[in-house]
Amino acid sequence: MKPKDQSFDVNKAKKSLDTLFGIFADISNNADELLKSRCPYKNAKSRCTAKFECKNQHYVNQFGALPVCTGSDFLDYRSAWQTDKKRTY
Amino acid sequence: MIKHEGLKKEFEYVTAPDEREHIAGLFASGDILMQEMAYNLIIGNNIEVGSLVKKALDEGYSANIVLDDGLIAGMAIVGVKFRDNLIFVPEVLISARAMKAGMVHIEPILSASGVEPIGIVIMGTVKGDLHDIGKNLCIMMLRGGGFSVHDLGVDTKPDDFIDAVMEHSASIVGMSALLTTTMPNMGTAIEAFEEAGMREEVKIMVGGAPVTQEFADEMGADAYGANAVDCVNIAKELSASPSK
Repeated sequence: MKPKDQSFDVNKAKKSLDTLFGIFADISNNADELLKSRCPYKNAKSRCTAKFECKNQHYVNQFGALPVCTGSDFLDYRSAWQTDKKRTY
Repeated sequence: MIKHEGLKKEFEYVTAPDEREHIAGLFASGDILMQEMAYNLIIGNNIEVGSLVKKALDEGYSANIVLDDGLIAGMAIVGVKFRDNLIFVPEVLISARAMKAGMVHIEPILSASGVEPIGIVIMGTVKGDLHDIGKNLCIMMLRGGGFSVHDLGVDTKPDDFIDAVMEHSASIVGMSALLTTTMPNMGTAIEAFEEAGMREEVKIMVGGAPVTQEFADEMGADAYGANAVDCVNIAKELSASPSK
């Protein structure tokens, strides 16, 4: 096991937190661009993580599985949202 | 040197030479515990990240090493994967949740060294609205920006905002709405603060796709944010400005 440096450098930690904020800021800026075409609730496996119903949700016959998103990423996804209905599945 | 097998695979997603060099440098110590922590953060295993950070601190790792070689190194790969469309917003938010689980153990050390949160923020999507992505991105940014954030989730009643402000002694409230039909509920919540005699104690910022500066002014909000980065800048301004 590698020896550990137990000292805590507060200035170094502040720089680390700035670095972290920079990573988050890049993510946020990229998200703004991405959301123009791809629904933000659609995950990498094209499953829907929204807590509300959406016309693009296709339910699969598997207990606990998230519905498949059938949105195209070309048409505006927001018209399919049915935000007055909580997803119950 | 990357020894952790899962992390090795994740690192393969980093293809730009300068980024590979930079991120490889973060893992240069070859410490397997830090690599395991980074890997679990990337895959969004918040429980494991929390326990690994605790274990590392208990074993005598400095909080600097845990932050840099474990948590931030992992989040750097998450950022690259997101930019390259290998993962999307839901996965990023799961990793951010894992980051928070780790930071829970780091924050007391920061606090003991005089690094206190910039402010305490209550965040929620207003009553009748079930959208949470924009709010969750704002929360991720606010936490990254040094704020302590309490998330009330979606469909938040005005009284819940008020109760949370009292419970956590918060000075800022952030309200989100994504629907034109629920936007007016921001005004209802602001009125509730006035009726409770607490409007002077808190700064209220609002945001969401249909919300505009004009609407925010009309509702009596203190500030409007167009996106998550804006949200942090505004929260910093509100924290610095004196109460009414």
